[in-house]
Amino acid sequence: MPDRLTEALCAPVRAPDPATWRASLGEAAATLARLAVRRAGAGRFRVTDHDIRLALHGLRDEAEAAPFAWAARTARRPLGLAAVRLLAAGAARSPAEAVRARMDESTRWVRDGSPGATQLDRWLAGLSAAGRAAVAAEAVTWATRLWCALDWSVLDGTPVIGRDRWWDSPHSALLALRGRADVRTDRASLVVLSGPRRDSVRAELALVTLVDALRGRRPATPGRVVGWWPDSGHLVRVEPEPAVLTLGAEGVELVLADAAPRRAAAAVRSAA
Amino acid sequence: MLSTAPRLLLRSQRPGAAPSDAPSAGTGRELLALLRGAAAGTPAGRPRFDPGLAGGLRAWLEDAAYGLVALRGDDAAPLVLGPRHLLGGDEDHSGATTAPPGAPGACQGAPAPADPAPANGALEARLVHALFRQLVHTGTVGDPLAEALDALGATGATASVRAVESLPTSARDALAGSLAAQAANLRALVPRFASGWMPRTDDHVSIPLAGGRVVLQGTFDLLVGTPSPGTASLCALGLSTGGPWPRDRQRLHYLALLEALRSGTPPFRLALIESTSGRYGVEDVREEHLRALSSHIVAWLAREGRPHPSGGNRA
Repeated sequence: MPDRLTEALCAPVRAPDPATWRASLGEAAATLARLAVRRAGAGRFRVTDHDIRLALHGLRDEAEAAPFAWAARTARRPLGLAAVRLLAAGAARSPAEAVRARMDESTRWVRDGSPGATQLDRWLAGLSAAGRAAVAAEAVTWATRLWCALDWSVLDGTPVIGRDRWWDSPHSALLALRGRADVRTDRASLVVLSGPRRDSVRAELALVTLVDALRGRRPATPGRVVGWWPDSGHLVRVEPEPAVLTLGAEGVELVLADAAPRRAAAAVRSAA
Repeated sequence: MLSTAPRLLLRSQRPGAAPSDAPSAGTGRELLALLRGAAAGTPAGRPRFDPGLAGGLRAWLEDAAYGLVALRGDDAAPLVLGPRHLLGGDEDHSGATTAPPGAPGACQGAPAPADPAPANGALEARLVHALFRQLVHTGTVGDPLAEALDALGATGATASVRAVESLPTSARDALAGSLAAQAANLRALVPRFASGWMPRTDDHVSIPLAGGRVVLQGTFDLLVGTPSPGTASLCALGLSTGGPWPRDRQRLHYLALLEALRSGTPPFRLALIESTSGRYGVEDVREEHLRALSSHIVAWLAREGRPHPSGGNRA
């Protein structure tokens, strides 16, 4: 398992034809511009891979019925990523030690009234020792699986761990897209996946490619996106092909089309 | 039924020992020594596994799963199977036999609520499991009931917490007493792992077969060791909260099979600890365990695919 995943991140990326790539990027940008203009005044929209998944599976109703709350399961990724960052930097010797260090940091920030303290930090600080142990246990498992799955010594450059990228529409301050990747190297991005294997996964991962391409920053050659399910060891690769940009833009379009009637219904409900 | 004979390296107490019997001091250290010791008859310290075994077992299971899918129809909802379905008994402590949230059409029938209040036995098992996780990660448990409830609260299992809090005083006292006894056993039994062993609890495994239309899943209570491609380098430790012992042992074999399907090699050693009695067992994983479990699952899939007397098939 570690070999296959590292190999998928390190394998050379076949660069797409520049002219075709530019044309597809232009089309995707035009689609997003139309969507942004059409949605002017409809409220702020941040589109994520999770939104694409929900829209493609018609699961938005269920998601809206269960509002977000911090719990061991929702905290494991941010804590786990912070832990892996400490491990990669050599600042911790094991996932357990790294998670403990990150949670101690939360306590310090909240106690000292640091402006950097987040909702997550405040939630952690309010837990009992046993509650914190349960959260730590979940984060340790998440971090250990990612840490052990890769041969970090052979990854290209210095991997960037857990930095999501955003693209803000130049046509509307209300529309933003998020490209979520857990590990980024010079030529690939790794996305840790959960839930069942599903048809929508390519569209979810295409959003990472689309956001990178729209931001137009380095690397000049777009990278591969590798989705990995730690539960099963399965991988899915999305190569930087022009069709991926179209797929990503279509996913965003679907999310916004799905969201419009919901917002209208909510407005009617609140007016009634 | 499985036909493999147990080869238990050590069991700390006689089977059927009274729950109040305290295990002898230092059993956690003994268990640790057994987990790290060389496997019987293998000078290199690690049993060998045929590198093609996992692929062969997967192909066997895929054939059986496709057979079932052919009978159920391509459009049928994915069939998500855990140890409760395949081996009988209660669900995993983590509730892992239910479909993952958001799984389109996963499992049979309506989707399970995120935190259904479990029946009393399962509720106690869940509390003990929370104490087990805490012991693995912190090495201490003070007030077992209060701390287990805090842990469940942090995991979002609010229905379980409410179920305990709404118990009559006498039932709650009885539960607290039972948890205290089991926590005492666990304190003695659960080894203190050096951080280099990478102990992780509740490691969920999910193996899709037949293009995801049949999914085998389960959750390791505790995995230790660093994965190493092509080498069996992990140990798994299972928690039994009341048995029966043979079924819990079989559940560990099932999880070993899932790990083999996930990574290509199973854990090389398994330990089972029983919180109610304080006994434990340690054994090496052998290829016949994996073959026997695969055979059991293949037979289960074939049986469930047979037409039911009332029409349709069972699955």
